[in-house]
Amino acid sequence: MAEFLQFVITGISVGMVYALIALGFALVWKSSSVANLALGQIVLLSSWFTYSMLVQAELPQYIAFPLVVVFALFLGWVIERFALRPLIAQPILSLITVTLGLGYFIEGVITFIWPWSVDALPQIFPRQVVHIGPAVVSWEYIWVVGICLTIFVLLTLFFRYHRMGIAMRATADDQMAVQACGIPVTRVFSTSWMFACVVAAIGGILISSIGGITHGLIETGLKSFSVVILGGLDSFSGAVVAGPIIGLAESLGGGYLTEHLWAGVKDIIPFVIIIIVMVIKPYGLFGEERIERI
Amino acid sequence: MTLPCGIRNYTYAEDMAIVRTGTHWVLLIGFLILLFTAPLYFNNYWLGVFNLIGITLIAAVGLNILVGYCGQLSIGHAGFIAVGAYTSAILTNRLEMPFLVGLIGAGLLSGLVGLLFGLPSVRVKGFYLAITTIAAQFIIIWVINHWGLTGGGNLITAPYPSIFGLEFRAESSQFYLIIGIAVLGVFFAKNLTRTKVGRAFIAIRDNDLAAEVMGVNLLYYKLLAFFIGCFFAGIAGALYAHWLGSLNAEQFSFTESILYVGMIIIGGLGTNIGPIFGVVFIRVLQQVLTIQLVPFLEKSVTVLPSGFATGITPMLFGLVIVLFLILEPRGLAHRWSLFKASYRLWPFSY
Repeated sequence: MAEFLQFVITGISVGMVYALIALGFALVWKSSSVANLALGQIVLLSSWFTYSMLVQAELPQYIAFPLVVVFALFLGWVIERFALRPLIAQPILSLITVTLGLGYFIEGVITFIWPWSVDALPQIFPRQVVHIGPAVVSWEYIWVVGICLTIFVLLTLFFRYHRMGIAMRATADDQMAVQACGIPVTRVFSTSWMFACVVAAIGGILISSIGGITHGLIETGLKSFSVVILGGLDSFSGAVVAGPIIGLAESLGGGYLTEHLWAGVKDIIPFVIIIIVMVIKPYGLFGEERIERI
Repeated sequence: MTLPCGIRNYTYAEDMAIVRTGTHWVLLIGFLILLFTAPLYFNNYWLGVFNLIGITLIAAVGLNILVGYCGQLSIGHAGFIAVGAYTSAILTNRLEMPFLVGLIGAGLLSGLVGLLFGLPSVRVKGFYLAITTIAAQFIIIWVINHWGLTGGGNLITAPYPSIFGLEFRAESSQFYLIIGIAVLGVFFAKNLTRTKVGRAFIAIRDNDLAAEVMGVNLLYYKLLAFFIGCFFAGIAGALYAHWLGSLNAEQFSFTESILYVGMIIIGGLGTNIGPIFGVVFIRVLQQVLTIQLVPFLEKSVTVLPSGFATGITPMLFGLVIVLFLILEPRGLAHRWSLFKASYRLWPFSY
């Protein structure tokens, strides 16, 4: 029982981070229908940048984290301006491949600057443990869940009440109409990319503070696609619901299936879920099923 | 198809011919002779590069049928190649079957696995399909890494290929085998795209709903595209296994899959000549970078960061893919046709 509870709590908190990263995906997808497959690399890059700020430059946390946010904003702006803007109105194939190319490029940059490929962030959250029932949980996990929930709430409020948030929702709905109303669509695009990168960077810091910085973070980015797929591509609430589900499936499956199957089954569960969802309900739990016309 | 000035077709056979004029024949036969006598002029190192290019070309031609002609984006091609490679290695090594059985078996099994992961393509497309194939890539590599039959993460060896007692041991004899199959594969793809099947693929790529309304059986043709594309991947994988001699799942990573998509985009999607340009471009660039340029730079510039050698390749390839998509989305094949047109019309502009 204690073991089960342990798995549930780790699963939910890791799932929350997946949901956060998935949110970064959904932001871009909703406003500009670009599938950002470089998400994992962006997560990794911002984790390494945080490492550089905290460990290599030895900045205090209250300076380092705002710098990371600024870096992520800049990264998002650069990606949108120089790689995606020239490809507006190109077929989806080009849009997907350009992010793949970007991811490859970022991976190269990471190997270039931080060639040692594995490291740990300094302690950000307290390492003490709390006892929840029979389970022993590190404070880190509770912090992670708290931060994720705060960001969800902030983003929801932003989309509901802020001018830019409303403009972004409108762009997602109908780009032509939005342009006719005088909303600068290109600015909406670049804002959504900047937001996406910030959200991914926060997710990266959270997950690498638990598990260290490795190339596995790229796979984490890919795993968060299972959250998007399960929740529905264009749904924020879908991502928030599906994230913990994926996290739970991953940690429970990893905990109980490893004996019966091969090691590393944990890392493959999100991908299996993708295939299952694709076959059964391709548009996810909350996704909007688009009816196509010729 | 635009015909050169002064050339007319008088019979249907002439109209359908791939090789049209005397000059075409001379150029084609000259090229083939040059290609098949390559072992005479190149040393073993470059023959190895050519073999790698040939193997990659077979896989890329398959991917081009799937992505370029049928429009079903697959980012898990390296996974399907791995299926072929391991199938052939196991068939010939563990079960001691002849090489030809391994080759065909690799193609068929890869095709079947492709069918399995292609099934969602009937309901979804675009990004959804891309994600499915990424999932396929990771699942396949995970299974290979953990299943006892496939070595469970250890190296697995494959014997040299031999057909009816004829053993392809040296780099130059393997060259004939690989390039021979590659030429056949390119010819098959060229012909396939001119048939009913190829036209159905193109119709699906351009608008699958319209194609379905016109009576194209989407289920059949999409799965057929997956089967053919992955069959090519399987053949390439088998040749790769027997060429290299030993296999490791690391050789079929996700980045390799991205590189395959990059190759056909750089070459030109949906053209028959495209994969050749793309593959030669990427593989030669890879060789020049890793074998020539990086050691040279490391020797002459002493202040290079330590990640330079490993980081420069993905950086440059990513950059090349992005730049091609932005600046020349139709790829090198488009440049080639522009060159041919200007060559034909010179010194006039049209």
